Amino acid sequence: MSDCHDGCNGSRREFLSGTLKLAGGAVVTVIGGAALASSGSAAGTGAPLPGGGDYDWNEHLWAYLVDTTKCIGCGSCARACKAENDVPEGFFRTWIERYVVGMDDSHVDSPNGGMDGFPPVQVGFVATKAFFVPKICNHCRATPCTQVCPVGASYRTKDGAVLVDIDSCIGCGYCVQACPYGSRFIHPATHTASKCTWCYHRITKGLKPACVTVCPTQARQFGDLKKDGDPVRAVVEHDRIQILQGHLLTEPQCYYTHLDKEVR
Amino acid sequence: MEHGKHVFRIVILVVVILTVVLLARGFLVPKTYGLYGRYRGANVGEQMNIRPVMHGGAAACADCHGDQAAKRTAGAHKNVSCEICHGPLGAHVKADGTVVKPPIDRSFTLCARCHRKVAARPAKFPQVDLDQHVNGPVEGKVCLQCHDPHSPKP
Repeated sequence: MSDCHDGCNGSRREFLSGTLKLAGGAVVTVIGGAALASSGSAAGTGAPLPGGGDYDWNEHLWAYLVDTTKCIGCGSCARACKAENDVPEGFFRTWIERYVVGMDDSHVDSPNGGMDGFPPVQVGFVATKAFFVPKICNHCRATPCTQVCPVGASYRTKDGAVLVDIDSCIGCGYCVQACPYGSRFIHPATHTASKCTWCYHRITKGLKPACVTVCPTQARQFGDLKKDGDPVRAVVEHDRIQILQGHLLTEPQCYYTHLDKEVR
Repeated sequence: MEHGKHVFRIVILVVVILTVVLLARGFLVPKTYGLYGRYRGANVGEQMNIRPVMHGGAAACADCHGDQAAKRTAGAHKNVSCEICHGPLGAHVKADGTVVKPPIDRSFTLCARCHRKVAARPAKFPQVDLDQHVNGPVEGKVCLQCHDPHSPKP
């Protein structure tokens, strides 16, 4: 009798725990299924084109190209970016860095992002070379900034731009910390993440980003890797190109030519 | 049957939790989330029109200012966009058609941004060592007394 009693108890406990596990599994399956059903249509070709206009993001793959030997450090790009994108005072979506390099030491500065040009600088070592390096969001293919976003506010479009949805952004700043290039900041007015969009409102209308439009020496170029005969594509395909911080495997889509080893 | 009651309670509990979760999800997750990926799909279209285009490019300026444009494209500043010195077209001609006078900066600091001698500039780029180039203090409109910014000569 006592045997049976114990046995009954045991089997009931097993049965209950089994039922609970099954129920838990069912919840996960149903919720996961619902999530997959909604995101599953991403791959589906039935989704309408974003924007509803003539622009088809499947036909483009944008890339940015910087020739550091052409940059004169005038800061026109940073000024144009401010005006085009209403970037708040003290923050930059693009900026210019000056490198002064010697055998023993190096000096990097970017007064006000280079917006007002660069005054002559005195360094405490024997400088053997100096150059400007325009910096911008690298719009990485394997970008860490979108991977850390807890609310899906940051994403990479099919045509290669990394954007921030400020209506979804909660301003936690994880992406700002995750970006190895310092390309993001928290906007002081909206308290959401902000960054270069490659002027997405311009490139989807057939224009170049503002910084490229004003660059007087063509140090900055913007092109389409999916377009035959595109000058930027030709350089990426045939020339020796470099990227910033390649060891981080972020796969930047901002390419550099004639980059010095000092540049990070 | 007595034991069946326990199972029934658990099933009810699971159904209630599931309903609450799915309802909450329906309210909290934006409609177009997941349309293209793990983000709100509608934002891509919003980004395309997030703000008006401000920089029109030198060709747009030439529509009204053909004389200046022709002079500029014939000279050494042919690659220097009008908007570098005069600001964006969108600030000059507003969306509603009103025209605001663009900035005309005649100060030497405007020229110095590109042409002041700085070691980091490419050596071939024309640069001016202000101390050696001008006698006396460098201020005001000193550059424009000799050089025409629309068609500069050394």
